[in-house]
Amino acid sequence: MKYLTIDTTTKITALSLGEEGKLVGEGFLHTGKTHSERLIPMLEQLMIAADWQLKDLGFIGVVNGPGSFTGIRIGIATAQGLSQVLKIPVIGIGSLDTLSWAGCGRKEDTVVILDARKNEWYSARYSWNDNRECLEPPRAVSPQYLTTELDKLEREFVFVGDAVPKAKEYLEKTLGRKAIIPLEYQYLPRGAYAACEAWEKWLTKDINTDNSKTVEPCYIRLSEAEVNLKKKNMEN
Amino acid sequence: MQRSQLEEKALNQKNQISILGVETSCDETSAAVLIDGRELKSHIISSQIEIHQKYGGVVPEIASREHCLQIGKVIDQALEEAGLGFKDLSAIAVTYGPGLVGSLLVGVAGAKAMAYAAGIPLIAVNHLEGHVYANFLEHNDIEFPLLALLASGGHTNLILFKNHLDYEVLGRTRDDAAGEAFDKVARTLGLGYPGGPYIQKAAVTGNPQAYDFPRAMLEPGSLDFSFSGLKSSVLNTLNTACMKEEKFNMNDLAASFQMAVVDILVRKSLKALDQVSAKTFALAGGVAANSILKESLSLALEERKIRFLYPSPVFCTDNGAMVAMAGYYHFLAENKASWKLNAVPGLTL
Repeated sequence: MKYLTIDTTTKITALSLGEEGKLVGEGFLHTGKTHSERLIPMLEQLMIAADWQLKDLGFIGVVNGPGSFTGIRIGIATAQGLSQVLKIPVIGIGSLDTLSWAGCGRKEDTVVILDARKNEWYSARYSWNDNRECLEPPRAVSPQYLTTELDKLEREFVFVGDAVPKAKEYLEKTLGRKAIIPLEYQYLPRGAYAACEAWEKWLTKDINTDNSKTVEPCYIRLSEAEVNLKKKNMEN
Repeated sequence: MQRSQLEEKALNQKNQISILGVETSCDETSAAVLIDGRELKSHIISSQIEIHQKYGGVVPEIASREHCLQIGKVIDQALEEAGLGFKDLSAIAVTYGPGLVGSLLVGVAGAKAMAYAAGIPLIAVNHLEGHVYANFLEHNDIEFPLLALLASGGHTNLILFKNHLDYEVLGRTRDDAAGEAFDKVARTLGLGYPGGPYIQKAAVTGNPQAYDFPRAMLEPGSLDFSFSGLKSSVLNTLNTACMKEEKFNMNDLAASFQMAVVDILVRKSLKALDQVSAKTFALAGGVAANSILKESLSLALEERKIRFLYPSPVFCTDNGAMVAMAGYYHFLAENKASWKLNAVPGLTL
């Protein structure tokens, strides 16, 4: 079974080609261009270089959030568009679950932090003992709240995600030696992580009952207008 | 009738040309299949109007989210109704601007992926061109030069088409668009969104001469538009009446405002026709659905013996059929978009 994964939920465009759990090809672009400009040209080049045909694909895995709202939609619209033409299933995988693979095999908890703007992170925490276990599910949280919470726990944490570069100093200040920051190429979203997550999800999903043609985006947050309307309704 | 190069090319096509048009620039997710630039095989519009009504206007983030949920279904339905598969398509045409960036990006990403996977060209369509091409959906004997008045929520333009895809903008709005003025006045009057249909309804029983609102004509010879003065004047009239606790007739206000907008649009159109020779005059955009505007233009153009066209209401709103139609001529002209195509929210003509 061959598959493609697409991750456009951060400023990085990350693609992978996989086959039966083996990573065959990977694309990573962290340039100033938009996903819209990079995505299909990159996919086309990767397919040509790997000497793969689109018709060989068995399914597509797309990272469906949380992350950049626009990025989530570009990824999903693209994956769905491809799957509609190729008549293959498309499965949604979470951005934080995907990035947790950056901590695979480590004894510390893996804490994923993605830039959520408004002085918040999209964050989740995992442990990698034998199997991955999600200790804290995805949510939007302030740095202060998260670090206070983590500081109470008697363990070490490896931080991964696109919020790491900006957060590095703060994490080291608040958590001291409990905070471990890996190298940049390890903590940023990569096609390889999505390939792992997509393959695992593919193996565990019930293919007979699920002929997934659409993927639900996972925004976590409501739009600003909905939040304001809710507030207004509560006040009245 | 003299045929253009593109029309000749269309007539000499041996193979059927099937275009899928995709439109997501604002709050309508739409797709249509058009055969040989003549036969509209299917046309699906999923409107979000009800979703945005409680916010009093289109909320960009909510619109984008809705497009993302709808686009796949809408395209599947358009193909199914047309009885075609992706392999039968010649190209996919998509609106890449102007519009809301988040909304546009959903359509561009989806259409691009489909065209790439199907191995067919992607055609980038300017939404404003699309509106004018809506006229070609119902008439295949349109003669050039064609003067088009495009009036919508975001734009007010007078455009001279010398031929297919060959045009020049003669006038544009310097502030609010005509449709925007309708929306803002309707909101202030508490009539609802979108403003055009509500104003028109209220105006039916109103006296259009009750209030004398300004008609900005700008400097002599100018074909540009300005509606902000008119809008402010209506809002001031309303505020003053409220402050003095005077009663005012809502319907009179709506009718007088509508008349002023129509007057400006008609006068500028006729002024343009004084400056250029045109065989056809075509209305386009959401405001083209206004019946007073159509009546006024119809009378004035009959006198001048210029053929007057306007699209059916369904083709005045944002729709995939007009995108497929404009896309058809771009396909003939071999204007293929690159896979790097991006949304251009501020795209102009």
